[in-house]
Amino acid sequence: MARRSFVHEVRDVAKGWRWGRRTMTPRSALQTTPPPKVWSFPTDWARTEAGKVARDVILDGALKPIIFNETSAEVFGLDNLEGVRGPVMFISNHSSHLDASIIMTTLPHGWRDKTATAAAKDYFFDVWWRSAFTALVYAGFPVERGAGERATAKAKELIRDGWSIIVFPEGTRSTDGWIQRFRHGTSRLALETGMTVVPIAIVGAYAAMPKGRAWPRKGRPPIRVRYGRPIVPAEGETHQQLSLRMQQGVAELFDEDRTSWWQAQHRAASHQTPKLSGPAGPGWLRTWEGSRPIRRSGEPPAWR
Amino acid sequence: MGRPGFVLEVDERTPPLLVHQGEGFRLQKFPLGTRAIYAPDPLPKIKGVRRAIREALENPHDSEPLRELLKPGMKLTIAIDDISLPLPPMQSPDIRQLVLEEVLELAARSGVEDVKLYMANSLHRRMNADEIKHAVGERVFRSFYPKDLKNHDAEDRDNLVYVGKTDEGEEVELNKRAMESDLLIYVNINLVAMDGGHKSVPVGLASYRSVRHHHNVHTMMHSKSYMDPRPGRSAIHDSCKRMGDLLKTNGLKVFTIETTLNNETFPEPFGFMNKREWEWSLLEQATYLAAKKANDLGPSPVRHQIWTRIKSPVGVTGINAGDTDAVHERTLARLHEQQLVEVSGQADIMVVGLPYIGPYNVNSIMNPILVHCLGLGYLFNMYRNMPVVRPGGAMIMFHPVPNEFHQVHHPSYVDFFEEVLAETTDPSTIESKFEERYATDPWYIHLYRNSYAYHGVHPFYMWYWGAYGRDYLGDVIIVGGDPKTVGRLGYRAASSFRDALEMAGETVGRSPSISYFHVPSYAIADVR
Repeated sequence: MARRSFVHEVRDVAKGWRWGRRTMTPRSALQTTPPPKVWSFPTDWARTEAGKVARDVILDGALKPIIFNETSAEVFGLDNLEGVRGPVMFISNHSSHLDASIIMTTLPHGWRDKTATAAAKDYFFDVWWRSAFTALVYAGFPVERGAGERATAKAKELIRDGWSIIVFPEGTRSTDGWIQRFRHGTSRLALETGMTVVPIAIVGAYAAMPKGRAWPRKGRPPIRVRYGRPIVPAEGETHQQLSLRMQQGVAELFDEDRTSWWQAQHRAASHQTPKLSGPAGPGWLRTWEGSRPIRRSGEPPAWR
Repeated sequence: MGRPGFVLEVDERTPPLLVHQGEGFRLQKFPLGTRAIYAPDPLPKIKGVRRAIREALENPHDSEPLRELLKPGMKLTIAIDDISLPLPPMQSPDIRQLVLEEVLELAARSGVEDVKLYMANSLHRRMNADEIKHAVGERVFRSFYPKDLKNHDAEDRDNLVYVGKTDEGEEVELNKRAMESDLLIYVNINLVAMDGGHKSVPVGLASYRSVRHHHNVHTMMHSKSYMDPRPGRSAIHDSCKRMGDLLKTNGLKVFTIETTLNNETFPEPFGFMNKREWEWSLLEQATYLAAKKANDLGPSPVRHQIWTRIKSPVGVTGINAGDTDAVHERTLARLHEQQLVEVSGQADIMVVGLPYIGPYNVNSIMNPILVHCLGLGYLFNMYRNMPVVRPGGAMIMFHPVPNEFHQVHHPSYVDFFEEVLAETTDPSTIESKFEERYATDPWYIHLYRNSYAYHGVHPFYMWYWGAYGRDYLGDVIIVGGDPKTVGRLGYRAASSFRDALEMAGETVGRSPSISYFHVPSYAIADVR
């Protein structure tokens, strides 16, 4: 019987066990296989001065040109950050891998230098190269989903050191473009640390690069990023109440994008801001509506 | 508590699975939808084995405590399972050593002086001094060997006694010293469900005259399976039970001590072989590659030496003592806890990788007849209710099947292969035409008694073990097997698994269902 060469053997093992990629358990074994031990990738090095310089080079030299070349990205509301003292918690809807990149590339340098991104440990910190990329480019730090107190330990440490953090309170990317329920861990963290929350709405990222795509669609799809007015946790406020205010903050920004700042303010005052949970109905309908291309800014060209 | 047995359905996420292939191993990609049967995870081993043994001896099942059975002036015989168990041989201290030391301690304190120990090797080869010392421990060995610690000799007419016939006309002939003792203690290791119970004394201390009544083609054809010893399912166990009852009726007092082991089969650095493949760590994947490369590069004798020296790190999971039936019931329950896997339905093809070791080639060579026995005898029969494969289905085994024999251990096997199999592979014809001659051949008897040879009749029994499998299956294909040797066995050789599937297609159709029986560790498929 012909023996396979060692190179072939190594290739078989590398392919079979998905070297450099996320390990996957056979479906029939999911119930009986303990979750793999998640490796704690060190990330502090990425927040050193050298890390910041490298991050600036990558973000400004590569990522920003790519995003602004491949999409028609626009930024609004950065003036809301004026006069705000860090650290703050940036919260945003989450429907695309573009989200963190867009926030990091649109934040003013003064803020970005001291902002870290919370990233799911099981996804972004599963293999060494993804962990290194997340840590360096997004100043990412791992958050263990569903781990309670343990999940926010690193975030608290960073906040104590004066770092603002970017958090996606939905916990994962939306599969249909609509906003999912905000996890209460985010509002708990804001309450415990007493930090200001800055809502961000990213409109059009789902249509541009939904879950499952690794590159934006052709045609420079429009994306608009809207920074909202800071939300300060009130005395005696519960985390549920704060969580609702955070959702409301993002919803108002979406409303503002659809209509106008003035109209959105009016609707907010009369508690008529449209919900972002999407239409009731079958899954395909939600996806259909959620992936509807957003309008481009300004008047449409006369020749279209 | 470890995880129970498991049936994996191969999908695109499944890495290649480990397949043993004699003194080698490989990773094999299986077609999507293949079911791979895994034994339960190793049960936790008993901490404080000596204490557990003492408790078992003090609180036996359906018997007085051992210390009450031991009296000054009595004749005590202790029989011990031989080299065929466990597989691979376990790391020191062997559980037999621990049990013996506790038993002998009690005997010494009770003033028992007349003690004889026998390795219950039946028609197996004699164990040499080193092998006995490993099994019983240095202290027991030094105290009793060679005068009072011996191999049972099934051809020593002076030390055999004819006991009588069972209701079914089965003659029972046993070790005379054991039969004349006031108490016979049997120290067992129950590796698979076939072992233990009444298969210990009436087989381990018997002669050909007795063994031939259950080690024959008719009995094997009516043992479905002999890994399922429930009454009425296994003719061989029913026969042994009748013999055991006859011995009891004739005054033989047996105190049985049975032990069960967990599934921790291979020591480090081969620990990856004990694990489910998709749970291999990066280190274990690297170890596989290194071990595979080293094994493939190593000269055959060196490779053989390395495999032979493997000692299993198995842990003891159960110790029961007392009346044979009461003890064995509990032993089987514990064994099933470790080995039973529920499997839904039969497959068209059963695939199995044959490891380097079986019960009859410890410190020896797995010759072609032992390959047949391990595959179609033991592994095919590792089921309850129904075989893993459907009637008329195909069995694909992985083994190189070299035409190699151990000239000291297996002399009659050489002649069996060259003379008997050259003429026919039909078990019934072989039995009627050749068995008697081989069993009574003076040269084979001489080698059995004075050298380290298996009895002249032993290759016949190996052939019979697989009789039901041969009759049941429509096709047997050995991947990587030497074509000429495999042809002599009556099977077909394939150069690759893909070829084997292609060949099996002639028997089971083009879209067969496949079950891969992942051994070792050993499992019993409970097919529903």
